[in-house]
Amino acid sequence: MIADIDTLHPLETEGARLGIKNPAQRYDRQGERNDQDRMEAAMRAFAHDFGATTAVYLESCIHCGMCAEACQYYVQTDDPRYTPVRKLEPFKQAYKREAGPFAFFYRLFNLKHRVTVDELQEWQELIYDSCTMCGRCSLICPMGIDIARLVGQARHGMFQAGLVPHELWAVAERAEREGSPLGATPKVFKERIDWLSDEYDVQIQVDLDSADILVSMSSIEIMKYPQAIVATAKVLNALGEKWTIRLDGYEATNFGMLSGNAQWQKDLSMKIINAAVKCGAKMLILPECGHAYGAMRWDGANIYGKPLPFEVLHVSEFLARNLRNGRLKVKQVPKSVTFHDPCQIARRGGATQAPREVLAKLGVDLHEMSPGGDLNWCCGGGGGVVTIHRADELRYKVFQIKMKQVDESGAEMLLMSCSNCRQTFDDGQAHFKWDKTAHSLLELVADNLAR
Amino acid sequence: MSHDESIGESLRKQGISRRAFMKFCAATASLLALPPGMAKVMAETLERARRPSVIYLSYQECTGCGESLTRSFSPTLENLIFNMMSLDYYETLQAAAGTAAEAARKTAMKENWGKYLLVVDGAIPLGIDGAYCTIAGESAADILTEAAKGAAAVVSVGTCAAFGGIPHANPNPTGAVAVSAVVKDKPVVNVSGCPPVPEVITGVLAHYLTFGSLPELDHLGRPTVFFGNTIHDRCYRRPYYDEGKFAKTFDDEGARNGWCLYELGCKGPVTYNACPTVKWNQGTSYPIESGHGCLGCSEPDFWDKGSFYSALSTRNWSGGTVLGAAAAAGVAIGVGAAVVSRRRRAQREKEKQS
Amino acid sequence: MTLLDFARGAAMKWSIAVFLFGVLWRLVGVLLLRRAHDYSQSRGPSLVAGALQTIITRSWPRKEFRASTAYGVAISYVFHIGLAIVVFGFVPHILLIRSLIGIGWDGLPSGVIYFCSVVTLIALVMAIIRRLTHPVLRLLSNFDDYFSWLVTAAPVLSGLLVVAHFGARYETLLAVHILSVEVLLIWFPFGKLMHSLLLPLARGQTGAFYARRGAST
Repeated sequence: MIADIDTLHPLETEGARLGIKNPAQRYDRQGERNDQDRMEAAMRAFAHDFGATTAVYLESCIHCGMCAEACQYYVQTDDPRYTPVRKLEPFKQAYKREAGPFAFFYRLFNLKHRVTVDELQEWQELIYDSCTMCGRCSLICPMGIDIARLVGQARHGMFQAGLVPHELWAVAERAEREGSPLGATPKVFKERIDWLSDEYDVQIQVDLDSADILVSMSSIEIMKYPQAIVATAKVLNALGEKWTIRLDGYEATNFGMLSGNAQWQKDLSMKIINAAVKCGAKMLILPECGHAYGAMRWDGANIYGKPLPFEVLHVSEFLARNLRNGRLKVKQVPKSVTFHDPCQIARRGGATQAPREVLAKLGVDLHEMSPGGDLNWCCGGGGGVVTIHRADELRYKVFQIKMKQVDESGAEMLLMSCSNCRQTFDDGQAHFKWDKTAHSLLELVADNLAR
Repeated sequence: MSHDESIGESLRKQGISRRAFMKFCAATASLLALPPGMAKVMAETLERARRPSVIYLSYQECTGCGESLTRSFSPTLENLIFNMMSLDYYETLQAAAGTAAEAARKTAMKENWGKYLLVVDGAIPLGIDGAYCTIAGESAADILTEAAKGAAAVVSVGTCAAFGGIPHANPNPTGAVAVSAVVKDKPVVNVSGCPPVPEVITGVLAHYLTFGSLPELDHLGRPTVFFGNTIHDRCYRRPYYDEGKFAKTFDDEGARNGWCLYELGCKGPVTYNACPTVKWNQGTSYPIESGHGCLGCSEPDFWDKGSFYSALSTRNWSGGTVLGAAAAAGVAIGVGAAVVSRRRRAQREKEKQS
Repeated sequence: MTLLDFARGAAMKWSIAVFLFGVLWRLVGVLLLRRAHDYSQSRGPSLVAGALQTIITRSWPRKEFRASTAYGVAISYVFHIGLAIVVFGFVPHILLIRSLIGIGWDGLPSGVIYFCSVVTLIALVMAIIRRLTHPVLRLLSNFDDYFSWLVTAAPVLSGLLVVAHFGARYETLLAVHILSVEVLLIWFPFGKLMHSLLLPLARGQTGAFYARRGAST
């Protein structure tokens, strides 16, 4: 299937990461279709999102350009093309022609021409490579336009037009087909669990028919940071919770959402929701993964079409709650620490304080980054960007902000609660031969549990 | 009194001293904003000048302009009539009536053909062939047209003659028009005002007598020397406008303190006239000084520009229905646009399914 | 009918009619679009409070953004406040507003208004120079941005000319000034000037969105 997607720019699937042969190529196309077809498909997908909320946003922009100042891509390159709201230009144009109050006249007099495939192609780099949907721009906008959300919507049309960066398309497709973007299929996952419980002598419950808590995982953790599974199990066992992992719904990442395929997003989310419903879970714990939080905590119920019958918590929230109520006890960690806030959990998720509560209980000396918390800079790898090989150069550029922040904090230890950020940090560390290593907040807690 | 008599001879016959005559010339020259030396020139010229024939016609008017003219203090009407001009026809003041009066006009016209000055007050009704105003069986328009043919120049006195004035106001039942709408081939000076400042009337006539020509005119045919500035610019209450001190009613503290009358509808800012400088009744005062805002009476259509008591910057229209209809139409089209967009979206969704 | 009569009469009536028509068309057309229900469990206590809070707090940048946006924000503040003082503080304007909607208030001395107009005009000129020179703004700007600037600056400039009696007869200047405002009213619903009405909606939406998530805005 991967081989089918583009004969002109075939994917290199054997490398460490999926990459394309020609990174200078700024756009990719999936499949062999004519332009008319792609455009119609993009329009249908765009139109789906043209509701009142989106319309108010698209009508409101005053072109003040302030969003550029919040965007890591503009700040690091001074290239005005990266101005966040400009990334929405084709989406906005489609809106004005399709759904705005004056759409009739825009069509009648062709005041806004139809969005062309060429334009969408040109914008592919802007909508994918240079936007992690981190949402800093949404906080600077004087009109209060939630630009990050609109970029997520614009990706829907791009996907339907078959204009997604290949690697992102490929991982999304693989997630839809195999249940995991990185090959963490139920079989692979089960083998890992068996090996981990053996190796670390920890009990990991799998496929219980009935449990209070359902635990989900990120593929990145399963494949790259399996310690996270052990850490989660340790904490839950220490609390004596009745919990389980279910092989019919464990993958918390959602590349359907990141790539812009609404159907795949739904398919992936519904697996976990159905698994939780099946085992009667009262709580779903989301792993250290930023976008998984947005996908389930905030979009989950809307995909389900009604309120979820269980509570959704990020693992840092779960830790904070149980440390707060005294059920979980930790040893003091006499270290200076700085914390990287994952955008989708803090700025866009609202769980900014949870990790700080946890850190306070650990007794660490927290050196906040500047700016920290809700306005912390993005690692540059979110929104699926870390998968896009041709975006690497740009990603390293913006990662330098992160390095500077961490260095300036003067802390001994760098912590975060998102495995995708962690992966981006690891990659940046290797690229720049940097002396700072990213660590997991969850693992730090699990390593310092007190009896 | 003969037309051949010079003004100087006429004055001496009347027993008017040279000193008094010089005083009059100085006053008039200053009024006309002429350089001081011109008073002497004016005196010398006038002394030698032959007294011109003046024919004064009145149509749709209230005689307010005539009343104003008779209150002119310098030069006095008596001076003008008896000394400087030969007023050969003026219904209001002449003793003759009926056939004798009309004969006097015709004689004067004939004797001074091409040289007499024609003064008109009142508007000219053109409705039903001019039947709204006839004198001795002739319509106003016809008399005016004929009289204008032999005139050296025409002076329209008062806003009715100058711009149509009150007879011309909505709905203008008589089809009243300004003199300039009837007289097309002769120079017409508009001395507007309702009534005009008397000194402005006499000043224009004195200018004509002195120089044999009409003064410089603005785009509405008014002498710039009298109509070059707005009431607002020369108003003694102007400082209060700049300070933002306004009378809100005619009997409030502000009104008693003599503050600006802008809020009470004063049209001073858009009215050009000499009121604040020449004033009325021997320079006693002018409307604003008496506590009332300017009505804008020297401007065309002043009667039709909304209430005298609504401020200049306010609307002069009423259109609740239009605005209501516009709002309703906006809502309706907005609803329509949203419905169309929703339908298009549904259609797209359907295409996506298939 | 003189130009001034036209400006104060038919032109004013119809420009206000177009303004009402267009504003309602655009607002209704946007607000009646589908609005999806959000089923996610809200973290915040009140979405309405969040909306109201953001409507107010988004009026100035958060401290982290202050340094990088100071110049643009300062210019905007100056001309927005300047316009407000001139439009709502000048007695002739207040009288017009009272004659239209029946509500009036005390005005400011004319000198204050003249001063504010000049400052406003300077700020507007600075704003357009910035738009013409800043790479981001240049790239973003379209006809709407430039035309909206023009119809905003024109009444300020023409108003100053009226006061100074400069360039033409007073009533002509006044008519041009009133007409320039009428052009603004007619353009208002169709361009970015609508931001003054869309602002509470956009900010409110975002405020409610973040309040639901318990995130700061």
